[in-house]
Amino acid sequence: MISLYRPGDSALHRLPAGPKLLIVMALALALSLAPADPWLLAPAVAGVAGAYLLAGLGPRDLGQEAWRLRWIVLVLAVGQIFFLPWQTVAANAGRVVVVILLANLVTLTTRTERLVDAIERALTPLRRLGVNPGRVALMLSMTITTIPVIAGYATQIREAQRARGVPLAPLAFVVPLLIMTLKHADDLADALTARGVD
Amino acid sequence: MDDRPSRFDTRDVTRIVVFAAIIAVLGIPGAIPIGGPVPITAQTLGVMLAGAVLGAWRGAAAVVIFLVLVLAGLPLLSGGRGGAGVFVGPSAGFLIGWIFGAFVVGLIVRLGSRPPVWWRTALGCFVGGVGVVYAIGIPVQSMVTGLPVGETAVTSAAFLPGDLLKTVAATIITMALWRAYPRAFGNPIRVRA
Repeated sequence: MISLYRPGDSALHRLPAGPKLLIVMALALALSLAPADPWLLAPAVAGVAGAYLLAGLGPRDLGQEAWRLRWIVLVLAVGQIFFLPWQTVAANAGRVVVVILLANLVTLTTRTERLVDAIERALTPLRRLGVNPGRVALMLSMTITTIPVIAGYATQIREAQRARGVPLAPLAFVVPLLIMTLKHADDLADALTARGVD
Repeated sequence: MDDRPSRFDTRDVTRIVVFAAIIAVLGIPGAIPIGGPVPITAQTLGVMLAGAVLGAWRGAAAVVIFLVLVLAGLPLLSGGRGGAGVFVGPSAGFLIGWIFGAFVVGLIVRLGSRPPVWWRTALGCFVGGVGVVYAIGIPVQSMVTGLPVGETAVTSAAFLPGDLLKTVAATIITMALWRAYPRAFGNPIRVRA
């Protein structure tokens, strides 16, 4: 599984995952709730660009990240241009880009495992409500290993149908996929039980 | 019916896991960004199926597991998107809406552990998979993009045909699965005489 993480050793990389996620998400949320005002947007852009530099990600990386948002921006602008003056549309689009770039900074500078661990720790207080953090962690790692298995089933079914000359039909594809997948789930359950995971 | 999280057994755990993975796999063929800042995706089909097949709590749990992996930085959303950014972007509300959507789908389709019947499945997939998801997604999108709620709803209407098609597909698939592999629907279903 290819994560969106970019290895590095900056101050941002070294920040513990939990607090980093909390702080950055809170900032991003505050920014997206603030009015789309150019006077507020300019320092936000500067701040985010500065944070990328601090994380060891140069203008190239920042540009690359922004370029990934091109469809969101295009579609957002097309949707709004009928309703709002273009200055407002530009400010709104700019704000969305800045907010997403800011939040993605967490993803770019934190290993997936670290974030999973942080999320698991955050779940500990939910133990009272019957949520078992250890079990959640098990499910998260099992899902990561199961995705390629199911993607493999999908390829298998597609190839089998192509071999028989069946035209690509979504229904004829999903039902066998689900049955194979759910059988796999039962096998997994048996394997877990056999290993003493209750 | 008691399928609350504290009652999840090993079989529930692995079913939740494989459905989280199914939602991810349904995002692989790629999204067609069209009509609004939220790309069209087969993943909502996965959300409807999770609720219909697993029931309310387990269905919602599968969506939560999937979204936690997205938040942790895996590019599992259609079009290879992922990371913390999508949870503050225009489609954030739709993603959170999936959790409640799957729950409501499960509530309606499996009304008190009953086996699925086609009309309740169709109703559940529509109310949960479309109604609930839009009811949470549109206000959040309006907040993020700065376009008023009414206008955002108009632009979101572009997704309605696709989502209706997915409702129909989810209903047909659920009923076909019920005939082909009733075990999928969980530990002994109480069939009412």
